[in-house]
Amino acid sequence: MLKGVRMINIDFSAYEETRPKVEGVVCPTCGKLHYPAPMICDRCNTRRDPSGARYSRWETTELEGNCTLLTWTRVHALPDGFDIPFLQFGIVEFSNGLRASGLLKSENPEIGMQLTAIADVVRETGNKKEWGLVFVT
Amino acid sequence: MRKVAVVGIGHTRFGNLSDYNLVDVMAMASLDAMEDAGITEERTLIDQLFVANMGGGIINHQTGIASALVSRIAMEPTPAELIENGPASGASAVKLGYMAVKSGMADLVMVTGGELMRAVTGWKGTDFVATLLHPDVEYRYGLTLPAFGGMFTRLYMERYGLTERDLALVAVKDHANGAKNPFAHVQNECTMEGIYDGPNAEVVNNYVAEPLRLYSMCPVSDGAASLLLCATDSPLYERFKKRAGIVISGIGSATDTHCVHNRKDPLDLEAVRISAERAYQNACLTASDISFAELHDAFVILEIAISEEIGLFRKGEAKNAIAEGATKVTGSMPINTSGGLKAKGHPVGATGVSQVYELVKQLRQEAEEGRQVADPVHGIAVNFGGFGNNVVTTICSKEFA
Amino acid sequence: MLLDNMEKKLRPPELHMTPYPAKLITLTSGEKMVVREAERKETGILLQTILPLLGAPKDFYDVVAARMYSEILGWYRYRVANMFVLVGAIEGEIAGIVTSRMASPEIGISLHTLTIKRGLRVGAQLFAAKMEHHLDYLKQKEVYIVAESPIGFKRWMIEYDLESREDRYPEVQHELGGVPTYSLTRDLYEKVKDKKVTGIRPVPEEIVAASRPLRVPTEYSQVPNSREEKTA
Repeated sequence: MLKGVRMINIDFSAYEETRPKVEGVVCPTCGKLHYPAPMICDRCNTRRDPSGARYSRWETTELEGNCTLLTWTRVHALPDGFDIPFLQFGIVEFSNGLRASGLLKSENPEIGMQLTAIADVVRETGNKKEWGLVFVT
Repeated sequence: MRKVAVVGIGHTRFGNLSDYNLVDVMAMASLDAMEDAGITEERTLIDQLFVANMGGGIINHQTGIASALVSRIAMEPTPAELIENGPASGASAVKLGYMAVKSGMADLVMVTGGELMRAVTGWKGTDFVATLLHPDVEYRYGLTLPAFGGMFTRLYMERYGLTERDLALVAVKDHANGAKNPFAHVQNECTMEGIYDGPNAEVVNNYVAEPLRLYSMCPVSDGAASLLLCATDSPLYERFKKRAGIVISGIGSATDTHCVHNRKDPLDLEAVRISAERAYQNACLTASDISFAELHDAFVILEIAISEEIGLFRKGEAKNAIAEGATKVTGSMPINTSGGLKAKGHPVGATGVSQVYELVKQLRQEAEEGRQVADPVHGIAVNFGGFGNNVVTTICSKEFA
Repeated sequence: MLLDNMEKKLRPPELHMTPYPAKLITLTSGEKMVVREAERKETGILLQTILPLLGAPKDFYDVVAARMYSEILGWYRYRVANMFVLVGAIEGEIAGIVTSRMASPEIGISLHTLTIKRGLRVGAQLFAAKMEHHLDYLKQKEVYIVAESPIGFKRWMIEYDLESREDRYPEVQHELGGVPTYSLTRDLYEKVKDKKVTGIRPVPEEIVAASRPLRVPTEYSQVPNSREEKTA
């Protein structure tokens, strides 16, 4: 140990290559699940601080796996940056009660069908890849 | 008690005005409202300007629009601020103008809303409107407001048995009204044969966000509208008494979850219901007092869903009334006599103000022949922000109703 | 005769071109548009129709009008090889014109699409009819397409999911200035045909008869002051 150097705690896991995940958060006080993350829990008023400096960061919960299709659409008029003829979207509900919007990859979608939610690239802007939920049969 | 009267109205043509400057277009409507009220020469009597616009900073590369407007109409040193509430910016500006007069802080205010959406290409315009959505959880997927309109419509059809034919009937009615409105963006009428049951309808009226088709969605428009609001117990009001008085009898607004997937029931437009409840309460009226309505039909499904949410019809039953012709100008509950957003157009910042313009025009009995409601007393306008997460409802009535 | 031989030398070689069978499309306004092949003797009306748009710079109307004017004159004078002209007419009044040609038995080259009556998707329908003629009636294998305006790019390159031929430049280039060329192959056409191509055949005789003679449009929304503008 070099003289004058203090022991510092560095979290090296920040440099690990992680599998992309789409996550909601869990309120540390009452356990309510939220997606997306709010700044205050609407059930028990516990505050969240993404920096962790003033309040806790809140634990995350991964959105993946089995879900039910609530409604869907196929859109032919896409915004700037999408040079493809159409995209399919859906809103699903997971068994833990969380709901989410995402890309729908299914040949014959039907309201009420069971799907699997996975995290995948949903948009590429220049070199940046953006990850999100994709619902597959 | 201090009431708030609408004493001047102005409106530009809605359509493609992108050869002109945004603030110039808003100035045209503002000066037209002043002319309508007869106070152009004395416009410094106006205590405050409430200006509505959503996209100026993004698509027109202009900010500080309220301040720019003041100079364009030579009204320094009148106070002015910009109000941005997505597609409900217009009605929010009306609400804040109303509140300023009602509170006693102002006697005479001007409310102007405007937008120049066609300054950019269609898909940049779609992208701009999509900025209303949650960036991480909605926008990044390429989701757009029409996408949510499509999802809402599909679920609505499943639950209430609504069909594409019902949607087509509304479009035909809106276009018939728009064709008589010289300000409407779309002057063409459409027929059931052309958009629904004709041999080519499926291709010519193609899907945009299934099950919504081209003729279920409003166009992208430029335009502006303006109102002058005056306190009825102000000495200034004497100038405006030559005309039958029209007042804003009630206003209400409400918010809902930002993310569409977090709505309690995906088909409940809570913000619409609560804002209407508040407006009715404010006006001491109920849905049965309403004579006609301007409802935010950015997608035709919304005209149907909003009319039910505000109590004009029971849930799932608007389609029956529509099929019977109840929502036509001559029907028992005329809706969107202006052509609605579908035919009149939807310059997002102007729409809320334009809806109140129509309420006043109808109550004054000054609408063009063929689209004037017979003897209206109370009119309601619903301006829908985001995909229903911020809604403002305005009720206008004859002053001595 | 010397003139005849010279004229023969100046004319391009001719491929056999099956005539386009006329069809009828009901537009959203309820109006019925006949889509049929134009004849050389109708050139005068076509040129008169296009001329006013030479002065309309907005939305690239001027360049499309100028190029289509020269194409139709070239076709009339037999100086453009294997070209066809389709016209969309509502009770005889021209609503839109498209031009295109066969470069070889297999390859078509789409020239221009001009919409005079806006707001009813006339251009989209006439472009689709052009593709229908190339692939279904002239039995070609693919059509090269370029766009001069963003609207064209969206309606064709994106909506038909055209294949880009940019990587084969300059071997593959479109004669309209060598701008990025895309192709509608038979496979791509079959995929979108149901959603893009429509119309009923045969057209009742009296309706075809009503489309002759063709008439110059009574108003041009692209040209200011060509009709009475409604004011406040």
